Amino acid sequence: MSTAEQRRFTETHEWARVTDDGLVEIGISDFGQHQLADIVNVELPEVSDHLFEAGEDVGVVESVKTASDYYAPVKGTVVQVNEELLGSPELINEEPYGRGWILRLKVADVAVVETLMTAAEYDATLPED
Amino acid sequence: MMTPGVSAESRTAGWAIFFSDPIRYAAGVRLQEALVSAHIAGEIPDVILILQHHPVVTKGARGRDDYLVLSPEALHERGIDLEQSSRGGDVTYHAPGQVIMYPIIKLGACEADAHGYLHNLEEVALRTATDFGIEAERRDGMTGGWTAKGKFSAIGVRFRRWVTFHGMSVNVDMDLAGFDTIVPCGLVGQSVVSFESLLGDECPSCATVGAHMLTHFEAVCGRRFESYSSEEAWPAGFRSVVGGLGGVNLFE
Repeated sequence: MSTAEQRRFTETHEWARVTDDGLVEIGISDFGQHQLADIVNVELPEVSDHLFEAGEDVGVVESVKTASDYYAPVKGTVVQVNEELLGSPELINEEPYGRGWILRLKVADVAVVETLMTAAEYDATLPED
Repeated sequence: MMTPGVSAESRTAGWAIFFSDPIRYAAGVRLQEALVSAHIAGEIPDVILILQHHPVVTKGARGRDDYLVLSPEALHERGIDLEQSSRGGDVTYHAPGQVIMYPIIKLGACEADAHGYLHNLEEVALRTATDFGIEAERRDGMTGGWTAKGKFSAIGVRFRRWVTFHGMSVNVDMDLAGFDTIVPCGLVGQSVVSFESLLGDECPSCATVGAHMLTHFEAVCGRRFESYSSEEAWPAGFRSVVGGLGGVNLFE
């Protein structure tokens, strides 16, 4: 499950996918990680019962000279965070659709992910280069 | 590489607001935060603030205390504020005589080259220096504007919903002694220079440098801005954002 086609996207450059155990996994898109360049730190949220609204800011991704908020693509509570990123934040650059995942949300109905943009729809919003 | 000039004509002109009096760093951040919110809400176009700050040491999101040479109390005695900043990058110093450019823009096609927005800000720094006969260069792994003698431009940005804030500085004729209170950007053993230290009597004014920075930003990022240099002339939408700050005096 490491390609863009198996994911849904937001206009703020997060991706979401439904995991085998029914959670919604969140990360930064390949385009988004390119924009930020070399990521040096990720602020992860606490695993808690806080219910994030879709679009609510969750944490911050920092590269050498930038800092950027990232957002919950769908409404849910954080049940897992990728602690591997604390020691190796560059995984977001290296494997944005793999080991660079950021967190997993528990949501009321995973069908909500289908409301996000498909890879093709998301690609159409990106600049051509 | 980006393609300068693309869509410059098709986009609505943004606002370039020039401030003649120095602004406290904290007030400048509150103004930027309000402008970012208004931009995300679609209430205002792209905005560039061109200004100078009262003396202040700012720590970036990664800013570490071990790059502070003086204690907060000792800074205060020298008339230097100390602020934590939400921008990327490490510690830096601002003071009158240094031109600051804060673009609050929605990142789009023009910035999406391989190196992105930071590379474009570096390009603005380099072209501006070149205008005044300074040989400027990039240094691998050390974002900013450099000369053989040291760094003249610092860069640190933040994105919120891919609207930018914070930005870049160019040292024109500031007192460089303030940099002795820090290890700029965490780069040990690197010198800081200004246009004045490089050019002497030939040094241009801050107003001139600011105008050149804006011109280069327009070309590099393919955007167009209307300039406003007095408070009386501010666009109503900008005045409204400043009014919404709730009694913050930008020029106290």
